Amino acid sequence: VNRTRAIGRLGGLAASTAAAAPFAFLWVQMMSNADDPLTARARLDMAIWMAVFGTPWMLAAWLLWRAWWRRAGARLATLDGQGWLLAAAAATLPGDRRDWGTAMAAELAQVPGGAPRWRFAAGCARAAVFPPRGTRAAVGVTGALAATATTATALATGAALPAGRVFALTFVGLLGGLATLTVARSRRVRRAGPGPAVAGLALAGIAGCVAFTAYYLAEYPSTHRGHPPTTAATLPPVTAVVLAVVLAGCLWLALTPPRWLVGDRHGRRFGVGMALALVAGFVATSRLALRGVDLVDGGMMSYLLFAAPVMVLAGSAAAGAAGRSFRAGLWACAWATVLGAPLLIVAWLAEAPRWYRQVGGLLLDADGGVGMGANLGDAIWWTLVVLVLWALPLGVLGAAAGSARARRRRARERADLAPTA
Amino acid sequence: MGSFGRPSGRATAVVLALAEQPATWRYGYELCERLDLAAGALYKALMRLADRGLLETAWERDLPAGRPPRHLYRLTGPGRALAAELAAGPPVRPTPARVVGGVGRRPRPEGT
Repeated sequence: VNRTRAIGRLGGLAASTAAAAPFAFLWVQMMSNADDPLTARARLDMAIWMAVFGTPWMLAAWLLWRAWWRRAGARLATLDGQGWLLAAAAATLPGDRRDWGTAMAAELAQVPGGAPRWRFAAGCARAAVFPPRGTRAAVGVTGALAATATTATALATGAALPAGRVFALTFVGLLGGLATLTVARSRRVRRAGPGPAVAGLALAGIAGCVAFTAYYLAEYPSTHRGHPPTTAATLPPVTAVVLAVVLAGCLWLALTPPRWLVGDRHGRRFGVGMALALVAGFVATSRLALRGVDLVDGGMMSYLLFAAPVMVLAGSAAAGAAGRSFRAGLWACAWATVLGAPLLIVAWLAEAPRWYRQVGGLLLDADGGVGMGANLGDAIWWTLVVLVLWALPLGVLGAAAGSARARRRRARERADLAPTA
Repeated sequence: MGSFGRPSGRATAVVLALAEQPATWRYGYELCERLDLAAGALYKALMRLADRGLLETAWERDLPAGRPPRHLYRLTGPGRALAAELAAGPPVRPTPARVVGGVGRRPRPEGT
């Protein structure tokens, strides 16, 4: 018991440190790359900003570690090396082969120690990571379709939309690869796991993103920004790849989510609600601001930095309270991010032309003298920064706060049931 | 072979081993030891056979305290029919792997 506790505490410390490390690294980089020598005050200001963004991540990492350790870690602490190897490999099994992982682990318990155990565990791990392929014909057809679609995309975008070639190729290639992997690893292709609302919302968001990206690239293949203004591609290769990875990842998670993400209906419902609320709030704030209502200072940045994270925090807390579990709040936060990111990009790109017409600047900060196409990069990067870097850890904190009462009650019940000396 | 394609050498070895006592439930490590198959090869074969409906699976009951229940395997009706066809058919050509032991033994060249 003491060893389990010690490992648990050490793991929590390691998780928090790992979460803080990127922010510390970023601060060091900014200090060393500054053009002019920075004053002590400027260094302190930057350190405070890093702490503001880093502290929620540190707390979130510690909470996630603690939840995982209580659920599975304590059991894993009792395993030997062979058991760890097999448990890690079995975690990658598709949902419809989950029982096989349990079967292998139960069998390992009967295998005598030493080399036979390592051989058995290694063999089982190989079978778990590379389970038998699905119908070979289906894998072949899916792979061939994926290759054809990628080639067709390369030809079509090369001729019709050269500015979107990197994005289109990466997106279609990733989707084809993921589809082939799904068919190859699963016994049968499953229906969309999380239900029609989640799948429909994800498809609508991703289709909207692709359509708006194509529109922006067709209208504004290059844009000017900066002081002095320079002209550059509206969608540089790095941004194009990031957008493709995000959209393909969202679609993958929404259509074939891992089994741990679909278990809680409160999580799904609150996640869908939060994603819709984020977008509705974004559009309503934008329209009111354009009508002269003094809601945001300049552009929509303050909505993104303050209102959106508060909505995720409150929504995750509500999900945790309604589902009476940390997991319910956590999954709500995850679904809000997965569904909200594409929808927020769509809303951004749909609203940006209004801002450009009425304010003469960008939607983010009403900055003038910049090309309309700059909204595309802003929409992609700021959505990711706000949702992933800022709102996601706050959602984890919200989930913990919302479920605290239920966890305290369960702890009291366990204490009441425990045998007295 | 009915509606099923001819199974691989390893799967054939597993089917024939299970067919020796078709009513008896067997467990994974026992089959590994009996057929001298690597665990990875055995479990892949078991998964394929179960996917095709040739294998019936169940969890062990009445087990001693502290031991996790094991997964048990035996042939279904179509599995037994397949085993009968395999036993009556031409000798199984084993896959180039560790399929030695009682069933599916790789024939050695004469004089060795």
